Amino acid sequence: MKASSQKMGIILITPSVFLICALLVYPVLYGVWLSFFKKHSFFPDQRFVGLANYLYLLKDSEFWMSLWYGTYYSVSTIVLQIVVGLIAALILNEAFRGRNIVRGVVLFPYMIPTVVAIILWKWLLNNQFGLVNYLLLAVGIIDDPLSWMGKDHIMTSLIIISVWEFFPFVVLSVLARLQTIPPVLYEAAKVDGAGAWSRFIHVTLPQLRNVLFVVILLRSIWMFTKFDTVWLLTQGGGAEKYIRTLPVFAYMRTFMYYQAGLGSTLAVIMFGILIASTTIYFKMFRREEGI
Amino acid sequence: MNRKKRYKLIIGSMCLFVLILGGTSLAERKVINVWHTETNPLSRKAVANIVDRFEKLHPDIKVEAEALAWGDLEGKIMAALAAGSPPELSHGQPITCAALQAKGLLLPLDDVVKHIGEDNIWDQIKKVGKYGDHYFGLVHAAGTSLLIYRKDLAEKRGLKNPKTWKDLLHNAKELTIDTNKDGKTDIYGLTIPGDNLFINILLGELTKANGGILFDDKNRPQFTSKCMIEILEFLEELTKYLPPGWEGHGYRETFANMYGAKAAMMYQGYGRGASLIEQYAPKHMTNTDYFDVWIKPHGPSGTKPAAQVDEEPWMMFKGCKHPKEAIEFLKFFYQDDNYLEYIQTVPIHFFPVTKSLRRSTAYQETPMIKKWKGWLDVQEHYLDNDLVKPTLVIDWKDMTTKPYLMEILGSGILKDMVMEVTKENVPPRKATDKAQKRAEELIKDKGYAKW
Repeated sequence: MKASSQKMGIILITPSVFLICALLVYPVLYGVWLSFFKKHSFFPDQRFVGLANYLYLLKDSEFWMSLWYGTYYSVSTIVLQIVVGLIAALILNEAFRGRNIVRGVVLFPYMIPTVVAIILWKWLLNNQFGLVNYLLLAVGIIDDPLSWMGKDHIMTSLIIISVWEFFPFVVLSVLARLQTIPPVLYEAAKVDGAGAWSRFIHVTLPQLRNVLFVVILLRSIWMFTKFDTVWLLTQGGGAEKYIRTLPVFAYMRTFMYYQAGLGSTLAVIMFGILIASTTIYFKMFRREEGI
Repeated sequence: MNRKKRYKLIIGSMCLFVLILGGTSLAERKVINVWHTETNPLSRKAVANIVDRFEKLHPDIKVEAEALAWGDLEGKIMAALAAGSPPELSHGQPITCAALQAKGLLLPLDDVVKHIGEDNIWDQIKKVGKYGDHYFGLVHAAGTSLLIYRKDLAEKRGLKNPKTWKDLLHNAKELTIDTNKDGKTDIYGLTIPGDNLFINILLGELTKANGGILFDDKNRPQFTSKCMIEILEFLEELTKYLPPGWEGHGYRETFANMYGAKAAMMYQGYGRGASLIEQYAPKHMTNTDYFDVWIKPHGPSGTKPAAQVDEEPWMMFKGCKHPKEAIEFLKFFYQDDNYLEYIQTVPIHFFPVTKSLRRSTAYQETPMIKKWKGWLDVQEHYLDNDLVKPTLVIDWKDMTTKPYLMEILGSGILKDMVMEVTKENVPPRKATDKAQKRAEELIKDKGYAKW
């Protein structure tokens, strides 16, 4: 009886194991394997080069620049998403007329397809005919139109667009948690004479710790590997050089230089960076938070 | 038989009938896949009409025509080839055609050329797809890059067609205008796209116009040459008259700068821009009294002007399922009546590759062709005097001897070099050193280095 139920268990999990191996394990291992080869992206020419791709990238200034741009972009957008998302969630947790409609509207940026959002923003930020410059000029904040898609402001534009697009995820997660904080905690704090700020620091934030821990982790992974928003903004245009993050650089190496080996090496390096930073993040906070 | 069973039987029979019918129809019709880069609605409609007529003549063939954006095409072709399921026909950059032909991935189109009549094709066109005695590419239509300018503004300032880069700088300075005298520029002297493709096109043109080469016979890049230094110094100066943020402007935005009266000259214009001007410029300005073209100038070390020719060839891929049927489709496409319908969708950019059509009354009488004749005359001058070459091609022999140009274009090495000089104030010599090193590495990696 025991043996047959064990057998049945194995039979039942076999399809799942097969799918995980085929869709997760094999592509990752293939990517790692490819990183040791010099391989054309589409033709069957390939040659084993050992660690040469890794050594090449370590000496490549473009790689270091991409790593810097990628880190700058992901850290800035995560910080801003958390700040904006938290503020929005706190506001949306309060009772006011039309709150349900506003809660729905806040989610729009997250639901709009990235390609549509980028086209929309590119027109809004157009330096000659865009609405943003028009408004900034009209209210006297700037004297001359800003080149939002030019070298000096392209990273700012990318950060603004990314924060706009992804902060609703933070709102959603934080708001869900805010609604479950027992009101009695706030009442007790009030009785103890805590003001609004004190209540936020000593009641709300500690209650949000766990959810913020997960949100920061997920958003960090997603922003560090973000490709579509970054690529679509310039699509290889002149200012692309100034937002060439690691995923974009990996794409270029694979599909524009046709160097699949180097592209895979970059993907493996990104994977390694994420594993290392996630481990550090867990070690630093998990013990403290008791998660 | 109860009612439920009867219904089941009827539905089952219907499904079986549809399956048999569909299966038979698919089995009988040969499907040819055709990828082209003319995404504008008029060209797509013309292609669809040609396909309809072809299918009526050949009920056993189905043509699946798909319009793809330039940027998507090369990657899609490569992926299809790698997957072993290429389309029958596709447009592509001339340098892509050269690269694929060198790898033995294309089938000849000699039968199509024979059907059209080799003498009926312009000599310039033949140079794009002919390798040895065979045609592995056949251009669908040709259009050259143009230096478009605001004629009204230039005439007011007494400016003439610039012969040299120095003249162009002078014109750009004169055409940078503060219309309302508030101390701010309202119209910039020139507009160029910052896209990777257009920067590559520009550098290819400027190299030709300055009497230089991009790669020597051993495939070694020549980016540190005197010619390239002069080009970068010229661009450093020229970009002072460009709208701020020009590096973020795409091709259509540069046209918006022109018809939106924000720029007075456009260096990388094309004939298809005439249609944009007709659509978006103020009505009274949609003519050659306001928007005309100059012949491009040459550099200090050059003697002749140079422009780029946008002439994507049709290619047929080895391993496709129905090459014979694809040949029949191309023969049909180039028949004067069908071809005219296609050409008329973008008449100022699509120069017919056949002499018979270019000389025909039906073509000459096209209203837009009569209206923008000056633009066509300049293109004809470039084409007939061999002043134009495809992107990054300096000499026609580059088409067969330099199959790595596609990778150079994709890599963005040249664009980065231009950006470093014009946007980051890196001295030209330092920027060329870096680009040279990157290009040498790439060519070595591809196995073409002979130095």
